[in-house]
Amino acid sequence: MIVTRKALNRRTILKGFGAAIGLPLLDAMTPAFASTLPANQPVRLAWFYLPNGIDMRNWTPPAEGPLGARLPDILAPLTPLKDDITVISNLTANWGRPLLVGAGDHGRALAAYMTGVEVYRTAGADLKLTTSADQIAANANGHLTRLPSLEVGLEETRQAGNCDNGYSCAYCYNVSWKTPTQPLPPISDPRNLFERLFGDDVVESPAAHARRLAMRQSILDRAMDDTHKLEATLGGTDRRKLDEYLTSVREIEQGVERAEKSGKTIDPGIEKPFGVPHDFPDYYRLMTDMMLVAFKSDITRISTIMVGREGSTRPYPEIGIADGHHPLTHHMGNMQMLEKVHQINILHAKLFAEFLTKLKNTKEGDSNLLDNSLIVYGSGLSDGNVHTHDKLPTVLAGRGGKFINPGRHIIYQRETPVANLFATMIQRVGVRPEHVGDSTGTLAGLCLS
Amino acid sequence: MPQGRFGGKPPMGVIYNTSMTRPDAALALAELYGFEEKRESRMGSVCVVGAGLNTAIFCDMIGRTYMLGPERNGNQVLAVGLADVKPLPPDSSMVRPAVERKNEKGEPLYTHSIEKLTDTSLAETVLLNGVIFNADAAVLLSAPATCLARSLDLNNAREVYKERVKRLVIVDAGTPQKDVPALRKVLAEWPTPIFYCPKAVGDAVPFPGAALDKTFEWTPNHPVVDAYRAAGTMPYNAPSYDLAAAHYAVHPDSGFFQLSEPGTLTVSDDGKLAFKPGGGQIRSLQVDPAKKDQFLLAMLDIAGTKPAEPQRRGPRTSANAGQAGDSKPPFAKPPEPAAPATAVKKDQ
Repeated sequence: MIVTRKALNRRTILKGFGAAIGLPLLDAMTPAFASTLPANQPVRLAWFYLPNGIDMRNWTPPAEGPLGARLPDILAPLTPLKDDITVISNLTANWGRPLLVGAGDHGRALAAYMTGVEVYRTAGADLKLTTSADQIAANANGHLTRLPSLEVGLEETRQAGNCDNGYSCAYCYNVSWKTPTQPLPPISDPRNLFERLFGDDVVESPAAHARRLAMRQSILDRAMDDTHKLEATLGGTDRRKLDEYLTSVREIEQGVERAEKSGKTIDPGIEKPFGVPHDFPDYYRLMTDMMLVAFKSDITRISTIMVGREGSTRPYPEIGIADGHHPLTHHMGNMQMLEKVHQINILHAKLFAEFLTKLKNTKEGDSNLLDNSLIVYGSGLSDGNVHTHDKLPTVLAGRGGKFINPGRHIIYQRETPVANLFATMIQRVGVRPEHVGDSTGTLAGLCLS
Repeated sequence: MPQGRFGGKPPMGVIYNTSMTRPDAALALAELYGFEEKRESRMGSVCVVGAGLNTAIFCDMIGRTYMLGPERNGNQVLAVGLADVKPLPPDSSMVRPAVERKNEKGEPLYTHSIEKLTDTSLAETVLLNGVIFNADAAVLLSAPATCLARSLDLNNAREVYKERVKRLVIVDAGTPQKDVPALRKVLAEWPTPIFYCPKAVGDAVPFPGAALDKTFEWTPNHPVVDAYRAAGTMPYNAPSYDLAAAHYAVHPDSGFFQLSEPGTLTVSDDGKLAFKPGGGQIRSLQVDPAKKDQFLLAMLDIAGTKPAEPQRRGPRTSANAGQAGDSKPPFAKPPEPAAPATAVKKDQ
């Protein structure tokens, strides 16, 4: 038998004027007679950073071992996915602690979370940290994808000034650090994110950019010729997959346009006045949908998202909470305030569960996108009321491509650095630095091997 | 240089790496909390190596005897560390009575927060974090050197130790050398001054068993008292190995000790320590013979410190006068020795 079919390159993109669209894994990208799961199936890494700590009473499962049918309140939205998540207890971010410095826990909590080193106290430009775990992976593997990594945020960022007792705003707004002195500000504007993902790598002149925006032409429309050519070479299954994928890109594009055209202004409690969906859940979905597409089409394999900046004062009118998140977390034992924190934590978990479900429903070879991911859902603070940096709330979603066996609650010894989890994750993608921040090694008992 | 939270120089932190298999170790822990009460040092961390879970529980019980008031969080106190080896080494019989004692309701007599391994801290991390918690620190090694040696390889640990640890005191009571390669690594690579506290120091100033009750008379029950009673046939005198070394770690300038000229400390394959003056940087300690009695009184006084009640806000009134932290008078003279030091049970 002679096999003549030539596999489509995994990194094929659709090009048009000012547009470059990555593609999902298609059958045509798999060589004939090869396993439907490519040997080099990419593993995606993501970090969802939660601000202001968690109502830990309603987070931690009561016992170690398999997750029971009923999860604690805050994790309850993840119940349908309980076999896809691992709850990890007792991890510590030591450098977030006050130690001898005192106040500034929010700035330190975020800055130290993925770097695992002392946060140099400054409100000036002389920032000093180290490369964060995601960027250690991106620096090593970033060449494999169009974008080495993707940094997303759900609040507008500030990069200068004093945001927390002498700690620069850069520490409070960035979880991802390319170098010890260079934070990677998260993209919080949906259109900017969209253009980063799907816009052409070629830098447009300001005039061309303005002209294209004025035309409001769909990126998909501009890549139409390429799309038609590709479709002609695909089988029925792949054509359907491509159509579903391009439809989802189109929907996101439309979502961005809707948000921009709505003209709604938001409550002054939120700092972004334009171009962002009015409701937080819509905003969250829109941004995480784009993350999903970025993973699905292998635009990047590494992403961070800040659900809120550390110290976020966002109110949540969608669930009837007009008070700011951060002030609520300083409840001083006031049960009404604590209950509101509890409800915010549940809302975040619901939205995270939606995202995971979408990943799980995204087929990839014989598996799905969630199975091929390792996604941290956690915070650098546990009790936001007193700013504790140990016993951190941590969920790891996904299997990392048959790397871990989820569905469990694992408790480690106290003072185990959260960096040990991150070292475990980046080892899965073949990156083995001597240290990841203050890591002492990897997390024993988490991996299958 | 780190500053105290409200300015000024914070007290030195002590990191106690112990096997907790002898009564002098239990007394040393009481002494270190006594120093903390008097603001002469603070407990950086306690890390158990070479013993089991009950030993960590015992150390936690002693800590909670001194930490009155509201529960302290992880920003304030580090959970006792325990070297996790499988299987865990056996505990000394010394710690069992305190761990197992119950009150009239059948509850543990001494409160503790450790029930299982995951309630303890990762050993090498708690050793380093104990130093990081303090601007200045002293490390007291009286356990197999396994975890202290391992901590040297943690990211940035050597720099942290070099900047903050003023002295490492190695107690020769038979435990650091149980891991010969680890001790050799520490001796070769430790970045700050090392002081060797030979057995002769502890033997020279034994803790008088007859003074036990008076030392802890401020409380009807104390885990250290239970341990001391369980470790030998009362009354007996226990060598003060860790007790004396802890005093030096906090107060090297007390005048109770004489220092050798710098030299080398070697450990043989069978675990014997040998100090040789000259050609090295390590100093060996010796108790000044003329000050033995004074030194013993000082140790008894500190070990017997009554913990202060949490500070109250507002003016001192007749209702609270005489309660908060009123320390007992110091010993006037050392009690008479009751029996030779060899009475200590040989289960360690």
